[in-house]
This record gives sequence, structure tokens and C-alpha cells, in this order.
Amino acid sequence: MPLALLSRFQNDAHVRVIDVQPDQTMDEVAAACAAPAVDRQVRHPDPSKPLRVRMTTPDDSAPPFERKLTVREAGFRHFECVDVFVE
Amino acid sequence: MPALERSQWYDIARSTNWTPSFVTEEELFPKEMSDPHSVPVSEWETYDEPYKVSYREYVAIQREKDSGAYSVRSALQRSKYYENADPAYLSLLKLHYAAIALSEYQTGIASARMARFGRAPGMRNMATFGVLDELRHGQIQLSFAHQLVPLDRQFDWAQRAQHTNNWAALSGRHALDDVMMTRDAITTSIMVNFAFETGLTNVQMIGLSADAANIGDFTFSNLITSIQSDEARHAQIATPLIEILIRNGKKAEVQKAVDIAFWRIWKIFALLTGIPMDYWFPLEKRDQSFKEYMHEFVIVQFDRQLKDVGLDRPWYWEHFLNEIDTYHHTQQAGIWSWRNTVWWNPTGGLGKAERVWLEQKYPGWNDTFGKYWDVIIDNVNNGKLEHTHAVGNPALCSMCNNTIASRGGLRWDARVRQKEYQGRRYNFCSEPCEWIFDQEPDRYKDWNTVVDRLYTGEISPPNAEGLLKYMGIGVVSEGGQDAHGLRWADEYRPLAAAE
Repeated sequence: MPLALLSRFQNDAHVRVIDVQPDQTMDEVAAACAAPAVDRQVRHPDPSKPLRVRMTTPDDSAPPFERKLTVREAGFRHFECVDVFVE
Repeated sequence: MPALERSQWYDIARSTNWTPSFVTEEELFPKEMSDPHSVPVSEWETYDEPYKVSYREYVAIQREKDSGAYSVRSALQRSKYYENADPAYLSLLKLHYAAIALSEYQTGIASARMARFGRAPGMRNMATFGVLDELRHGQIQLSFAHQLVPLDRQFDWAQRAQHTNNWAALSGRHALDDVMMTRDAITTSIMVNFAFETGLTNVQMIGLSADAANIGDFTFSNLITSIQSDEARHAQIATPLIEILIRNGKKAEVQKAVDIAFWRIWKIFALLTGIPMDYWFPLEKRDQSFKEYMHEFVIVQFDRQLKDVGLDRPWYWEHFLNEIDTYHHTQQAGIWSWRNTVWWNPTGGLGKAERVWLEQKYPGWNDTFGKYWDVIIDNVNNGKLEHTHAVGNPALCSMCNNTIASRGGLRWDARVRQKEYQGRRYNFCSEPCEWIFDQEPDRYKDWNTVVDRLYTGEISPPNAEGLLKYMGIGVVSEGGQDAHGLRWADEYRPLAAAE
């Protein structure tokens, strides 16, 4: 059963529902979040940099997760809201 | 023998309060259906309706209205107007009829509750005519939409939308069930007659009517003007009622009812009226922008009406002003990208002249919403048409059921407000939507948006095909396509080719 995340992709107008698997890394989560958004309704903010994932917070101050961290290790729950962005 | 003047008999004839002997007063007027505030009956009997009419007068007036609307329709039918109309304009009609026609019956039920359970005889009298008004509105709009079904199957959604699980129908139904179907007679009147009909219907029924006349659709223009003349009358049911409640120390309760209903209905009109006015009407036929209409009919007029009855602006007024600048733009973008999920054909409609107009009316549009459409235009002109269709699902608000979205482009304003309640996580698009949930969580907690239903097992198979079928797409009619076959993007072609 996939886990549904809410994805805020940098500069995207929409918050999207993205299905992820517990074993996926944060790099794979970022790619899954980018797929329905980039070059469809938003440009990649900087293709020379890797996309990072962090928890959504009111002041956007959460540090990015380690890129190899898995969804399971991050302890995500159904409808966890994450930001996908470049540093 | 000459009939008496109405003024000679009206006050006596409508004094229909009595002392029940077979049942108790509480059984006759249960608080949960009638007046939860327990205002004394003697106070309700001071209710003086501002508009008085007899049944004989009512029938004569309504007959004139109906014959006028139907004769205009007959004249336009002969001219084959709709066969030659702009397809984006037809989308407005498909959206309007499906959203409004059957909802009029809901309003009729709400009015019937006021007619039965209202404590003031004058209120019951006016509400009885309100029931008849709403029945007329339902019938005439279903009839007008039905004649267009042979032209385009999507018009059948006027009959069907409210019986489907289409996300747009659920969005409207959740709001209307909340304010019209599930409240006591007093609160229903405040929410429907004041917040909804006094506050917001002018934008749809007068503003949109002007735009429809500009484009030559006198059938629709005449129809909704005819409906609005009824709304303007029965909307007045709430005014003396609010004055009585405030006089009896219930201002906070009235204010809360207004604040809830105004926000809920605003979300409907932003989609129903805002998008067509600013995107679907041909540029040369637009009378004013949606924002300008909102300023005229709501920010100026409704604000004055609030003060007149002794109420304040809703607490979220600044947030509301911000949404007038943004909300329908975000929803136009989302609805167009997920156009296969709706029963009308939205147009992108964004030629260069239209963008200049939008930037003028909504400063900053090009740097925010415009960036969204730049990507789409590039895809159209580079032959990546499949990329113009959204894939996956948007996050939906647990209250308004619309996409959670905001300005993108050079900004990043889209943000979810999340709340945990009894172990479940809820998502909201805005502070007012969350605030409404907080007022009565048990009223709203069991609701699932269509995206929620993908994860509860209600939609099978839980994929895009299953979801479309669940929402009636491919069942009632095919889903939406760009109304103009993407031709509005042609004028950007040299630019895309050069790049």
C-alpha cells in the first residue's frame, strides 16, 4: 500500500498528492514529486542542483532530509506535507 | 363587490400564530428545527416583512416573468444562436445550469423549512412564496438546459451533476448541504437569504447577465435577470429576523452564521462566475473584470448592508480581499489542467491581448499565474500535447473540496493548513475553511473528498480510470477538452519556434 504525501514543489501553484513507497529514498521522493509538475506547469527551479525534501513548516525553516534517508526512516504518515526545492 | 385593498386585510390574514392545544409549543416548533436561540414569541411577532405581496399579485407577476423569459428563448431558438455560439461561452452555460438548476430545489426545501418552522408569521408567509420562487427557478433552468442536450451531451449534466460524485458537484453540494439543508429555520434564513442571496448572487445574476447580453445571449441574460428579481424579494426575509436576534442579544450567533455561509458560498461563485468572466468571455465582450464586479456588488453593497443590519464584516475580510485577486486564477489553472475531470470544455483563452488585460486588472498576474501558462504554451507549440494534461491528483481542501493552490511562478504561495482531529489528518486551503471546521468538527469530520476516497477503498480501481468513471466522466458524457482546440496558443508559435 503506497503512502500518500502532499507535495509542495518550489514555485508550483498546486499542492499535489504523491504516492510513495516506504523504501524510497528522499532523492526518489523528490523525483516522484517533480514528475507531474516539472515542465508541465512549472519549471525546474535550477536543473544544476539536486532537489531536496524537507517537512513543510509555516516559516519554511525545516532542514532538508538526508538524500539517502527512506520514507520509513523519516517516519512519514498519510498526508505528510513536504517541500521539494533546491538549496 | 370590489375586492379589498391588500393593505386592508394583509396584517390580519397573516397573523397565523396560535396557542396549540393538542401538542406543546416545543413539539410544534422544536428548537433544533425552529429557533435554537429561544427568542420569545412576542418578539418574533414584531417581525414586519419589508416586501408584502398577496398570492393573486404574486401569480400575476410571475406569469409575466415566465412568459417574458420563454418568449425570448423562442426568438433566439429561431436564430440558431447556440449552434453558432463560442464554445467557451457554451461551457459557461454547462457549468451554470449543472451547478444551479437542481440546487434551486435545495433552496426550495430550505425555504419550506422557514415556511414551516419560522416563528414569525410574516417570515412564514414570505418563505412560502420563496418556495414557489425556487421551484420556478429549478424548472425553468432545467427546461432551458434540456433543449441544448441535442446540441451537446454535456448539457445533460444540468439534470445529472447533483446525482454524481464528480468533484465539482461534490464541492457545491458539500457547501449547499451545509448552509441550506442541515440547519434550523432561523440559521438557514441568515445563511441563505442574507449571506448567500443578499451577499453574493448579484455577481452571478446581474454581473453575468450583463456579460451575457453583451455576447448576444438574451435568453440567458433574461433568464437570470428574471430569477434575480425573485431573489431580491425573498432575500429580504432575513433582514427583520436579524434585527430581532440582535435586539435580543444574539449578534455573535448571527455574525458566526454569516461568516460561515459567506465564505462557503464565496468559494462556489469564484469558480462559477470568476473564471468565466475573466477567462471564457471574449475579451471585447467583457463588461468588467470579476474583481470589479466583486467590488461593486460585494465589497461596497454588501458591506453597507452588513452595517445597516448591525453586523460587522466577516473576520476574514482581508483574506477575502486577497482571494478576490487570486483564487479564481488558481482554480482556472487547475480546472484547465485537469479538464478531463469536468463536464464542460474550459478554454485556456490566453492570447497576448488577454494577458495584457489580466495584468492590467490583476497586477502581477504575468509573474505568477502567467508563468504557469508559459510552460503550457511552450508544450502546446512544441507538440507535447500530452504534457498539457495534469497527471496525478491535486490536494483537495477538506472543507471547500477545491484544489489547494495559490500563486506560483516567481512566488510559492500554495500552502496546506493541516489539522489532527480524533486521529485523522485534515487538509485545508485557507484559514477560514479551517475555522469553519473548528466551529463544529463533528458536523464535518466524516466527509471524504474524492481524493480521500481513493485511499478509503470507495473508488475501484483506485487509479485515474477508476476515478474518472466514479465521477461520471464517460458515463454521463465525455470529460472536458480545451474549448478552442488550443488555438489561443497559436500566436506564441514563432516565439516557441525561435527558442
